[in-house]
Amino acid sequence: MRVLVVGMNHRTAPLEVRERFAVAEPAPHLVKLVAGEEIDEAVLLSTCNRVEVVALTRHVEPARHRLRAFFHRDLAGEIPVQGAATLENLLFEYVDGPAMRQVFRVAASLDSMVLGEPQILGQMKQAYRAAVECGACGAILSRLFQSAFAAAKRVRRETRIGERPVSVARVAVELAKQIFESFDDKTALLIGAGEMIEAALEALRGEGLRTIQIANRTRVHAEHLAQRFHASARGLEELREVLPQADIVLSCTAGDTPILEMADFAEATRARHGRPVFVIDLGVPRNVDPGVNRLDAVYLYDIDDLAGVAAANADERRRETMLGEAIVLEEQQRFDGWLLALQAVPTIRHLRARAEAIRQAELQRSLARLTLGENERQTVEALTRAIVNKLLHAPVSRLRAEAEREEGLAYLEAARVLFALDDPDMPGAEAAEDSAPEGAPDRPLPDPEDSEGT
Amino acid sequence: MIVALHQLTAALYLAAGLLAGVGLVLARPTLSRAAVAVLVAGACFHGVAFVAFHLASEPPPLTDLPASVSLMAFLGVLFYLALLMRSRLSALVAGVAPMAFLGVFFAALRLPQSEHAPFVGAASSWPHAHVLLASGGLASLAVACLAGIVFLAEDRRLKAKRPMSGRLRLPSLEALDRVNAVALVVGFPLLTLGVLTGMMWVEDTSGRFAAHEIWSIFAWGIYAVLVAARFRAHQGARQAAIFAVAGFAFLLFAVIGVGLLT
Repeated sequence: MRVLVVGMNHRTAPLEVRERFAVAEPAPHLVKLVAGEEIDEAVLLSTCNRVEVVALTRHVEPARHRLRAFFHRDLAGEIPVQGAATLENLLFEYVDGPAMRQVFRVAASLDSMVLGEPQILGQMKQAYRAAVECGACGAILSRLFQSAFAAAKRVRRETRIGERPVSVARVAVELAKQIFESFDDKTALLIGAGEMIEAALEALRGEGLRTIQIANRTRVHAEHLAQRFHASARGLEELREVLPQADIVLSCTAGDTPILEMADFAEATRARHGRPVFVIDLGVPRNVDPGVNRLDAVYLYDIDDLAGVAAANADERRRETMLGEAIVLEEQQRFDGWLLALQAVPTIRHLRARAEAIRQAELQRSLARLTLGENERQTVEALTRAIVNKLLHAPVSRLRAEAEREEGLAYLEAARVLFALDDPDMPGAEAAEDSAPEGAPDRPLPDPEDSEGT
Repeated sequence: MIVALHQLTAALYLAAGLLAGVGLVLARPTLSRAAVAVLVAGACFHGVAFVAFHLASEPPPLTDLPASVSLMAFLGVLFYLALLMRSRLSALVAGVAPMAFLGVFFAALRLPQSEHAPFVGAASSWPHAHVLLASGGLASLAVACLAGIVFLAEDRRLKAKRPMSGRLRLPSLEALDRVNAVALVVGFPLLTLGVLTGMMWVEDTSGRFAAHEIWSIFAWGIYAVLVAARFRAHQGARQAAIFAVAGFAFLLFAVIGVGLLT
């Protein structure tokens, strides 16, 4: 059995292509994929940064063609995607080890655009669940995904990859948390508007911030925003009046000169009796006099300061990827061992069948020459079974253990030659014909979320 | 027995300090929580040590320096644990536990002599009241000092716009300032009562103030000014932190340093 991954991601395809290939409902596609001969099991992962199919197959070449055709015909459909040749260039493909590694790396967020972002694991679990529910995901891919989820949890637990925020808004919130114990009794003053300021405000609201005042040059705009955020609106002329009430000041408005000077904050901090103020100035040119940071209890961060912290955090995440990769490799090797061990199953079955056939034949021959009661017959039968089991125990255990390594194939070959397992005239050959991998469960393993408690 | 209990307590406080330190560096909240649990265990044994102290010598010779230092460490730990129930201050265990360890370790080294030391002023209750109240005051002001040190380091880092180094996760400035305020509210009245009972004790014995008493009254005066600045003049959090550190250093010198020097 071989694992194959074909897909596109943020590194190989631009957003305008990825969004065309995004799949909202993977089940019908998966059912079609596994209905053919080429693919035995499949999982389709579609997020804003990637569309990937993880497939299990016995024959890689037909499966590869089938998956590429799936992208060309089923997903691209009627939409011309810069020509077929271009689409070929946008698709990546991994087989066996690299394919398994890709699944592990995606789950652990080592392949994400924002390293360490936690959403991908949830999206993968959702994709896996969808595949299980429509019957496209069997025992082996189930095991692969379970292992990938376990590896992802280990990476999150044992490294700092997801610890430091990397967006300006989250950095602002993290800094605010280093100043304030809680936000539910705090007041934020929002000056101006802008996407980043709204993102920061949303993040602060997520932490419990309730009281918001919005000041703008145009009062109507302030009122419009105030309605959105359940805040109260002010004009810029009221800024000095409301400043002493603000624990957090978020500013992003146009203007050549600072709208808040040192004197404004000096007066405000006096009125606040030394209670701290966190000032986030996202304006370019800056809205707040940089000297304000020298005042006691005023902590001023401009856009460069926040971006600097975000970049430092991103660097730290990148440094952590080495640890994450090591964990992924370890978990992947464990899965690889399990998959290799499955190859020993037919040989072991065959060997047992051969031994059992010989035992039965010799037993019948001997019993025909003896006159034994029922009890004696059962005793002899048990005796022969015990001898066979004891003789086979050591070689079977060794085969199982060795099969988990690449070099274990030589042991399997040796066993087949020594016991003449490939000779169709030998007894037990028929019994081994229909042997199925005994290490593989018949049904997918339970959903990891059931036992995660997350 | 008392010494063995002190040694065990010191070992637990040290273990709590180490656990908390590792927990801070590795940013492992579980280690910080474990450190708090070990600190609680240490405080339990510390309490048992004082019960044993009481049973061995009634009333126990708390006026001896090792015993009073041990008591101060015990009350400091209890005060910190009480604060911990209200705020997220588990990171401070990395400072509280080593301070408590030093106090108990010092006491464990010196206690064998003090168990046989003559008890001064057994007929009066002033010495005990003095030691209990002053130790309580000193312990809470020690916690204020620790919070002040962490506050100043954090304030400096935030002003310099440096990201948190390594995996440190310290309490917020607001929480640290609250610790400072609560410690002053609790510690200053205790210290005041400690000084008053100390004066009564001196009146009952020699009637003459020695260097230790004079410095202690001076230190109390400084604290009175700090409290007034904090609660009457609405001093800022940073000044309050500086004053908490400086005030406690002076108080420590007045109460312990002068005693050791004279």
